[in-house]
Amino acid sequence: MEPDAQLVQGCLRGEGPAWEELVRRHTRRVFNLCYRFTGNSTEAEDLSQEVFLRIYRTLASYRPAFGAFPTWLTSVTRNLLVDHYRRTRRDRLTDSIEDAMPKLENKQSAARTPDKLALASELSAQLQQGLGRLSPELREAVILRDLQGLDYSEIQGVLEVPEGTVKSRINRGRIELARILEEMGLRPQN
Amino acid sequence: MTDWNCARTEERLSDYLDGILSPAEAAAFSAHASGCEACGKLVAQVGGLVHRMRALDALEVPPQLIPKILESTLGPRRTQSAGWQRWFAWVPQLWQPRFAMGVITVAATILIVLYSTGISPTKLKKADLSPTNVFRTANRQVHLTYARSAKFVNDLRVVYEIQTRLQPDAEPSPSITPAPAPQQNSQPPSVNPQEKSQTSPHPGHSQSRNGTMLASLLNGDWTENFGAIVICDVPRSPR
Repeated sequence: MEPDAQLVQGCLRGEGPAWEELVRRHTRRVFNLCYRFTGNSTEAEDLSQEVFLRIYRTLASYRPAFGAFPTWLTSVTRNLLVDHYRRTRRDRLTDSIEDAMPKLENKQSAARTPDKLALASELSAQLQQGLGRLSPELREAVILRDLQGLDYSEIQGVLEVPEGTVKSRINRGRIELARILEEMGLRPQN
Repeated sequence: MTDWNCARTEERLSDYLDGILSPAEAAAFSAHASGCEACGKLVAQVGGLVHRMRALDALEVPPQLIPKILESTLGPRRTQSAGWQRWFAWVPQLWQPRFAMGVITVAATILIVLYSTGISPTKLKKADLSPTNVFRTANRQVHLTYARSAKFVNDLRVVYEIQTRLQPDAEPSPSITPAPAPQQNSQPPSVNPQEKSQTSPHPGHSQSRNGTMLASLLNGDWTENFGAIVICDVPRSPR
């Protein structure tokens, strides 16, 4: 049995240390996904907490036969991110109108400025700005494929869309992101 | 595959980068990309981006996040670090002023209750804890306290009376009225202050007055407490 499956069994028997270990193993993955999608450290923390709270409550419904635990975890995270995106859409629309004004003067200020503390490198910060300007469908596809390292079938399981759609979104997302980064002045190599 | 064009290159770009094109398709793709400037640039751009994204380290988790998650799921008590620290986690809480005040208040209350019920913690026996004994002791203590208080008040009255009568020159009195003898041992000589002022002793009758007072004092069991006063009074009696 896989370590994750054993830990899940332990959690279902009410073992606190098993849950603690499960949280420690997967918090980084969940936090990264949330941060890359939202571009905000505080929101990512709150969402990560929400994800594990939901996992904790619905752990009994997890079946290893339907897929690996990380895929299920990613799926729960992605669903919460979509909910969060829909909830905060109105706020973002207002923000984007306000952001459009200085765009005429400075192209780089158009996107929401990501949290500098969380991003160690310049590339990471620019990438975050670029991701923020992608549509949510393309953004999640690129994050899952290139930052989380999921394969096509896993992404298909998480997004619950046909394989062709997954491939198309990843491809369009990458191309658009490369163009955005070029606009921002990031050179493709080095 | 001679019909490979720019649109198809863009469409299959990720398949090429992910290595899932068939060998024939991959060859046609490469041939077109190397011949077309725009497509060559696009492949280099997107290929570089994908490579760099995959090489990027995952972001570090904020240190407070895991404890927060564990607290929101397992509850605050289960999030202590493992081992001996879990057993001694309550120790620092003892130093909080609120807890210390509570302990002091409870200890003071217990001491007061023990003292008033006459239970000595150092000489406590098992039999003392039975409800009957506790009640008996408490009842006895209450009665003793009441008796002591009553005796104290009576003694004060006696002292007051003696002092009043031993001040002969205070005010003149028309007649001498002997103080009534105490009716019971537990009762002090009933001296009405008003009556006392009316019957203040005359200088010439001080001896008989003191004698009467001595007699009335000697009748009560409280005389033992005032032996000193009586003795002090003796040298004045020949006058």
